[in-house]
Amino acid sequence: MKRNYLKYTLIVLLGMGVISCKKSFLQTTPKGEFLESNYYQTPAQAFSGLVAAYDPLVTETGGLDETYINPLGPLNSASDDAYAGGGGSTDTPDWQVWNNYTVNPAQGPQAGFWKVNFLGVSRTNTILSKLGNVPGLDPATAKRYTGEALFLRAHYLFDLVRLFKNIPLITTPLDPSTIYNQPQAAPTAVYAQIESDLTTAIADLPATVVTTENGRVTGGAAVALLGKVYLYEQKWAQAATQLAIVNGTTPGGVTPTYNYQLQASFAAIFNPNNKFNSEAILEIPHTSTQNYSWNNWDSFKGNVYVQMTGPRDFSDATYAGGWGFNPITTQLHDAMQNANDPRYGYTILNLDSLSALEHKTYTPSYQNTGYFSLKYAPLTKFKSATGTVELNYPNDYIEIRLADTYLMEAEALVQSGGNAGRALALLTAVRARVGLAPVPATLANIYNERRFELALEGHRWFDLVRWGQAATTLAFKGFKAGTNELLPIPLNELSNTKLVQNPGYAK
Amino acid sequence: MRKTITFLLVILLSGISVAFAQNVTVKGKVSDNTGLALPGVTVKVKGSQAGTVTDVNGNFSINSPQNGTLSFSYVGYAAKDVPIANQSVINVVLDYNNTGLDEVIVVGYGTQKKAVVTGAIATVSSADMQDQQITRIDDALEGRAAGVFVTQSSGSPGAGPSIAIRGSNSLTNNSPLFVIDGVIWDNGGYDLVNPNDVESINVLKDASAAIYGSRASNGVILITTKKGKLGAPKLTYDFYYGSQDVTKKLQLANATQYATLRNEAVTNDGGTAPFANPAAFGVGTNWQDVIFNTAPIQSHTLAVSGASETSSYYSSLGYLDQKGIVSPNASDYKRMNIKVNTTFTPKKWIVFGENFTYAYTRSTTFFNTNSEFGGPLSDAINIDPITPVLATNISSLPNAAIYNSESAFLVRNAAGIPYGISNYVANEITNPLAAEANQNGNYNWSHNLVGDVYLQIEPIKGLKFKTEIAGKQAFYGTESFTPLFYLNSNTSNLVNTTQNRSSNQNLEWNWDNTVSYTKTIGLHNFTILAGTSAEEESGRSASISYIGEPAFTSQTASFNYALPAASRIGSGGDSQPLTRASTFGRVEYNYDEKYLFTGIVRRDGSSKFGSDRVYGTFPSASLGWVATREKFLSGNNFVDYLKVRASYGVLGNELALTAFQFTPIVGSAGGGSYVINGQLVTGFGPNTLANPLLQWERTKSADIGFDAIIFKNISVTLDFYDKKTNDLLIQQPLPAYAGLSAAPYANAGDIENKGVELELGYNKKISKDFGFGVNGNISYNNNKVLGIGILPFQDFGSFQSSAYSLQRNMPGEPQNEFFGFKTEGVFHSQAEINAYTDAAGNLIQPNAKPGDLKFADISGTGPLGPKDRTFLGNPIPNWIYGVNAHANYKQFDISLFGQGVWGNKIFQGYRRLDLSTANYPIEALNAWTPSNPNSNYPRLTVADPNGNFKNPSDFYLQSGAYFRIKTLQLGWTLPTSMANKWDVNKLRVYVSSNNLATITKYNGYDPEVAGGIERGVYPQARTLMVGLDITL
Repeated sequence: MKRNYLKYTLIVLLGMGVISCKKSFLQTTPKGEFLESNYYQTPAQAFSGLVAAYDPLVTETGGLDETYINPLGPLNSASDDAYAGGGGSTDTPDWQVWNNYTVNPAQGPQAGFWKVNFLGVSRTNTILSKLGNVPGLDPATAKRYTGEALFLRAHYLFDLVRLFKNIPLITTPLDPSTIYNQPQAAPTAVYAQIESDLTTAIADLPATVVTTENGRVTGGAAVALLGKVYLYEQKWAQAATQLAIVNGTTPGGVTPTYNYQLQASFAAIFNPNNKFNSEAILEIPHTSTQNYSWNNWDSFKGNVYVQMTGPRDFSDATYAGGWGFNPITTQLHDAMQNANDPRYGYTILNLDSLSALEHKTYTPSYQNTGYFSLKYAPLTKFKSATGTVELNYPNDYIEIRLADTYLMEAEALVQSGGNAGRALALLTAVRARVGLAPVPATLANIYNERRFELALEGHRWFDLVRWGQAATTLAFKGFKAGTNELLPIPLNELSNTKLVQNPGYAK
Repeated sequence: MRKTITFLLVILLSGISVAFAQNVTVKGKVSDNTGLALPGVTVKVKGSQAGTVTDVNGNFSINSPQNGTLSFSYVGYAAKDVPIANQSVINVVLDYNNTGLDEVIVVGYGTQKKAVVTGAIATVSSADMQDQQITRIDDALEGRAAGVFVTQSSGSPGAGPSIAIRGSNSLTNNSPLFVIDGVIWDNGGYDLVNPNDVESINVLKDASAAIYGSRASNGVILITTKKGKLGAPKLTYDFYYGSQDVTKKLQLANATQYATLRNEAVTNDGGTAPFANPAAFGVGTNWQDVIFNTAPIQSHTLAVSGASETSSYYSSLGYLDQKGIVSPNASDYKRMNIKVNTTFTPKKWIVFGENFTYAYTRSTTFFNTNSEFGGPLSDAINIDPITPVLATNISSLPNAAIYNSESAFLVRNAAGIPYGISNYVANEITNPLAAEANQNGNYNWSHNLVGDVYLQIEPIKGLKFKTEIAGKQAFYGTESFTPLFYLNSNTSNLVNTTQNRSSNQNLEWNWDNTVSYTKTIGLHNFTILAGTSAEEESGRSASISYIGEPAFTSQTASFNYALPAASRIGSGGDSQPLTRASTFGRVEYNYDEKYLFTGIVRRDGSSKFGSDRVYGTFPSASLGWVATREKFLSGNNFVDYLKVRASYGVLGNELALTAFQFTPIVGSAGGGSYVINGQLVTGFGPNTLANPLLQWERTKSADIGFDAIIFKNISVTLDFYDKKTNDLLIQQPLPAYAGLSAAPYANAGDIENKGVELELGYNKKISKDFGFGVNGNISYNNNKVLGIGILPFQDFGSFQSSAYSLQRNMPGEPQNEFFGFKTEGVFHSQAEINAYTDAAGNLIQPNAKPGDLKFADISGTGPLGPKDRTFLGNPIPNWIYGVNAHANYKQFDISLFGQGVWGNKIFQGYRRLDLSTANYPIEALNAWTPSNPNSNYPRLTVADPNGNFKNPSDFYLQSGAYFRIKTLQLGWTLPTSMANKWDVNKLRVYVSSNNLATITKYNGYDPEVAGGIERGVYPQARTLMVGLDITL
């Protein structure tokens, strides 16, 4: 009998095991992440969603092949101010092929530009779709977040439309069923969307931000970008009107409301110890404090472009070494030196003479000219103490600054036949800051001023294209008129989609 | 004296037995039909637990009721029942029978007798493995089982192979499910099992795998470890020591040739030759000689086992120490295993058992292999041969300035001489010895505890309840130190040292409950099984780095240094939770072991799926007919056994998925970060799109085959199978304009695999002294992608910086097919280039020059572009085969085992194209030049405007077919007479070799390249060994 009790007790226990599995055992919740259905429920979560929309603005990598680095590198490589350079003719080929205009759908910087900016478009669309329904988010904050997101979307779309011209225009989160069916929009429709986004953003955004918010966009940046967009559209009068708002009534003085003013010293503009100075209108922030290593390759926010432009195997008290990318062309060097331009010494480092002076050597990079960029040069004093040095330079990229908006307004005024005196005053203010005498405000002088003032800041290639000068000026690099004004649509984007390749590029 | 006492005791004990239990002592000898005594034969009294085993001379002695029956069983021999019938001495002859029909096959949550198995199940026994010195159990399957395709992914010590059973059923993951002693191991770690502890491996290849439901479609590998066998404790010691070497090196340019080729490439592009006098460099450094070394391997296993009527035990200690043939100081693997299993039968109806394994591994492989981006192989292939290994005379070197300016950071050998730094090749490519020296002191470690405990009760005969709780707890991590160093202008660490410690722990547990009932009614035999299983996986990790310790070597580094908080950097992580709950059942029925049926169903629930699709059901059924049990076939002299079987079932696969892929997850992956006022702020955003309908891949698996034994000694197994997998899990490649950081998974694709497998065996014991056997298997698989959802094709695989993918999946084509340009020789003149036009007169290759590759104009329109690519061959072989021959004569035995594949291509792209100064393969010496106009090797060029080297094309493809002699072994066993004298049960010594020879046309290191893309694979070593097995 005793034996049977034991037996049946064991059977019951084992039987309970067989039937004890419940469905709730299979419903798990994520750790350190959220289900989308549970997110965007607090003001803090809404802000995190907005930060996600900012993130692609500072993407150092992230092309379709994860090799794209910083917009400055390829843009300078494509211009007449610099070469691609680097370790050899095949080092960072995306830059090389834009440098020598063998860019093709399979190879070039287009994959990076395309992916990063569309990532931005998607993230802004997501947060814009959520901002109306966030419990506890006060209307004023919601309005500001909306303004920031609209600015960012306009910024991403503007980069896309001026690089590719023919892009899908996506302004809401995509429905999975329509993803592969997006058509390329008319460029005018894209520009209309950009204008509309920026116009709303200007109304929604604060004119300026407090120091603790440095890096978030301002009303001033939105006005400046809208002016720049009009300029690219050749809507000269509207461009001049917008740019005048950020430039203020007295060129050289302080802009009312926005507090913009030219820096007294040209060198101070780019100093990492002088971030968000009075001349910076749109500043893309970087950081040196995050100890990034190569494991962070896809997500780091240090400025690797700084490292890339430094001379190979060189260091002294002032300059740290780098990888020898974007050597400056003799064309730019000679133009600035022949003009005896005072900005030369803040723009170009003549390393051959410096190393000879210091009895040092460096390894010439590919396409070495001996001339290196100074605006974003790796300086010994800004080498990070922690993390991988090359990934942790602190230098911000100033995408729009007051001297640029002065010159854009001057150009718009001359083109539109507007106030010639103001155009001269704007040009004169830019020259006066570096001690140069006034010159007449002709288009040629304004163009030349833009080249010297803004050298290696990523504007030159766009300027040459919109001025119609690219074919002649860039002929020495192999620029093909009618094709190379645009980048090709990235090869992989043509798979399974409705997209059509830009003219002149192989199918 | 001792004998006398023993004799008295026997008399006394047997007297007692007779007096109280009516038992008799039966003695006897068991031998085979050649007269050879058989030691280790299990002798049992039928219907009771009582039993013993024969001694070294085949003798036994057992107490049994006078009217009892003794049953004799021994692996490889037909079992026999003998009634005692009042005899006190019974001598038995067992018939040699290598058919294995009486063997028991593990089929998941139970076993089946091989004679009545209805599934397609391959078996690898410990005897097979004994002929081959392997370090991992998964290696044991290579070439041994038809339809099981095993490729070594790397010759690096401890590296695991990739395994695919009956072709590729999935576009994402083809790993079969491993079940070790009844416990599912689905996260790797199979190297924790000492191969010497394994009794058998059974591979469920068809729908019989349905008992594992949602994880069965890639096949199931069931591993059974050794258990104690009836008899006194047996102590075994297995040992081998070997020496490993590389068998083949690449043919690369020497220093003079390199300089010549560089001059040629640069001048072809219109540049100035960089080297004025190539011959001055001589032969320079052979970097392959620098990285490859002879390396030792040794293995020891000590085990004790035994069993009585109420308990059994097996415990072992294993130790493996293997150095790698590449950079041995930075590549080694040590493993210690401890294994214990026991069973206890306190009551006749209760079994309590446990299995416990502890394994410790320590390995030091930190470098890349099969990658163009650094690592000793990539370094040796790409660095120039001009650079010296050691910079003994710095001032004579062209880059002397670097040595001087970076003097504090140079990596030096033991004598303080700096390692050479290339003046020509940089980026990730460095002096491999210097890179190896930087790894000094770094290692990976793991402690793994795997165990299960079960209780089984049998309240009435045939009805068994079993509950089993199993856990796998893994602790693993890495200790590393990054010193200050300067390897080249891109690879240096000049500011701070970093010491890192990372540790992880993962726990998986499962709780299985089963009930089974076995009953025989007349000639009807039933077994019914039902069960449940619950599982959970979790994990966590932590890592800490100390930056800038006041220590400059790994020996002096320590986390005891007090550093400011900012220099102590930590990170951690939690695995996303994963749970599964399942119910399953199986019905086996046979009538007289003639008509056979097995039905299986499993219902799996998984937290990987959304609430609409939590559960999936996977059924299968199989039938068998043993024709030789029919009257009309009995007594024929030709077929001794013939079983025809057929099976059909639905099997699942979810390996592609991790947690929460049915829903968008809002996290930093979809949010990135941004810097506000110098502070990093983390963004949160959805990573992908929702797919609440996400579910399992489903494979419909049909198999028809037969098992036969003809002419007593020849065994034949032939199978045809047809598998179709639907709802393939695919990460839908979104256009980048969708702007999502991760592509969502969808069930969107179909693939089929059809094939045939043949296993043939011939085993004969010709005389007492001579036995002989040959076993072979060959299988053919035809794989075809049927659909990829809405996508017309799927491109993947990168070739250096080319945007052209290397491989394409497209409906109608085999999976993973190479896709690229097809070459048609080289242009021999400008006239040929000018004549190569499309219908409209456009040049197909406007950038070409004489000597450039001519690519086929697939699209019919110029210029050459993406549409001119085509399918070029497949990295996966259609044919795989293995053959094993063994013979023994008196004390000697010899075995030979080989395996091979046929029908695949290897893409060999190991030269770095972005480094124009990388070294060249020797074939480049034959490059086209005006003075070598008949060559089909394209002209050398750095700029490569025609894409000779940049374009993925069949220029890089070679046949991957090979036949490899995996093992040749010669053994000698101590004669029984001497064994008796020395008081040992068995002693065998042998010499053996692994990977003795490989027949292949492939000119790389090793034709075994997992995935078929060679970027400098770590080759398999050739090993020469001596070994010893002793049983006491």
